[in-house]
Amino acid sequence: MEYSKNHRQIVDDLMAGKFVLATNKNFLEIKEKENQYELFFKASFGHDLIVKNDYAFLCSEETNEMLSRDVCIFFAILCYELDKDGRNFLDLINYSEFEYASINEYFDNSAYIEVIKNNSKLKDNASRAEFLDTLHRRNIIDKTGNQKFVFTAVHKEYIDFAMELAKAKTEESV
Amino acid sequence: MRIDPKTIIRFTLEYFDSIRDLFDVQLADGIIRKESASAIYEKGGSHIEKQLQEYRLVRNVGGDFELRPEYFHFLKFVLEEFRPLLPEHIEKYNHSITELFRKIREEIYGDVTILNSRIKSLAIEVREFVSTVEHNTLSLLEQTRALKANADKIDYREKVQRASYWIDYYILPLNRILDVSNTESIIHKLYNLSEFVNNKRLNFHDKEAQDNFEQLYIQLLQTNDDLLKQSKILTNELLPLIERIRTESRILTGFITYLRNPYKTKIPSLFKRKQYSPYSSNVAINTKAYMEQFMNDEAIIIDDDFDGGNNWIFNKDYFKEKLKEQLPVENFFNWCNTTLKEEYKSIETDKLFALTTLLFEEDLLLEFDEKNKKQKLKTKEYTLQVPTIAVSNHGIF
Repeated sequence: MEYSKNHRQIVDDLMAGKFVLATNKNFLEIKEKENQYELFFKASFGHDLIVKNDYAFLCSEETNEMLSRDVCIFFAILCYELDKDGRNFLDLINYSEFEYASINEYFDNSAYIEVIKNNSKLKDNASRAEFLDTLHRRNIIDKTGNQKFVFTAVHKEYIDFAMELAKAKTEESV
Repeated sequence: MRIDPKTIIRFTLEYFDSIRDLFDVQLADGIIRKESASAIYEKGGSHIEKQLQEYRLVRNVGGDFELRPEYFHFLKFVLEEFRPLLPEHIEKYNHSITELFRKIREEIYGDVTILNSRIKSLAIEVREFVSTVEHNTLSLLEQTRALKANADKIDYREKVQRASYWIDYYILPLNRILDVSNTESIIHKLYNLSEFVNNKRLNFHDKEAQDNFEQLYIQLLQTNDDLLKQSKILTNELLPLIERIRTESRILTGFITYLRNPYKTKIPSLFKRKQYSPYSSNVAINTKAYMEQFMNDEAIIIDDDFDGGNNWIFNKDYFKEKLKEQLPVENFFNWCNTTLKEEYKSIETDKLFALTTLLFEEDLLLEFDEKNKKQKLKTKEYTLQVPTIAVSNHGIF
């Protein structure tokens, strides 16, 4: 395998659990050498490399992977609350900036307060701030200020997940 | 006795709140029940009922009432209270326009008076049709926006039900009415009508009819623009908006299903980082795994018959002594050659290499001239190219 110029950076980022976004120059290298990188990560570490149109990431089939579960809960509750508030949640998640304060308000007054209280990453303002920092490190959100952020294209992963669940539910009820 | 129109307008203005209450009841129920009317009259003044009857603004339906259609439509207009009409209602214009157009075409050279009446009637029908479509599009847009904004805070399931209802019963049929490619649509018929009227406005034997055709043609041109605008609202705004409600509702259905059982549902896989810390519980396991690779669990069996093979052990002291006895030596590798042949009758490569380690002894002085040509030394296995190295005693030894 001929290694790309930024091979080490690519491996470091992906192995740190980061999503490599299309806005990152390394994404193009991954995309161009997709097959090689797939083989590399599978043969070297046993991990699957997923390359989508807007981002690339590694995934490991570990049953105790809790971050993804917390992210799913976070998206599910946020979308539900935004919709309940009469907001276009898809537009907001796609294009808008969020403030920690508004997120906290939605979560503190959520109908799913029981789920929130039972989740160590989302239970209060401090946990949520830490959780959002983790999302930032993984490139799921992009912090635009001390208490502000926008969602990156990675949110599509979770929107697709919800669509799949809805589809499965519809098929189940037919 | 004819009532002065200004009296009716003044009456409407003076008692507008009560009239609006009557209007709202009829809008909601289709009729004004006797009890509802009595309550409204009691609040606004009992003389209202008498005047409404006198001005022929209401009529009795059994024991109940209704505002006369003309007055009801007037109030609807001023209150901008347009309820979307079912497309079946709009389709009636298809019939009336088609019929009038057919008669005009078939009897184009018949009685001019009836022809002019038909042209004017056709113009009225077209105007009403456009107006109805406009009101319908706007009211559908308003309803859809209200649904999207969810001002009533309705459940998402009801929201998607309502969205589907608007799509299936109103929006898609309206889209079909405005579909030019459909030969049965009203808009397609209006195109044909426009072509016919254009021809007649330029070439017709009766001047009055020609003028009427001219006016109708201008109206049809405007109609075309208006319907195009409505069609654009429908396809660019209404359909995407309602489709968006459906999509968002699907996403919410998925998320709500997930939230019912967040710890048992299979979720998208993310990468789990591996971190090793001296305090981590993994350290014990990892250390054990590391140490185990050096543990050889296989039993070692020593064979009694083993003769030890022909492993040669280099006796460095013996050969060093031998070398020192012959110092100074002009060519070390010649000395190796002679010595090995004396000792073993042949030269084996590993033995030769073992002898070369003597060159690193500190008490020996080596001299080596790079200009000298390398010589060949043949061992049992290889032919080696070796330099000429002179060896002598180092220092006072």
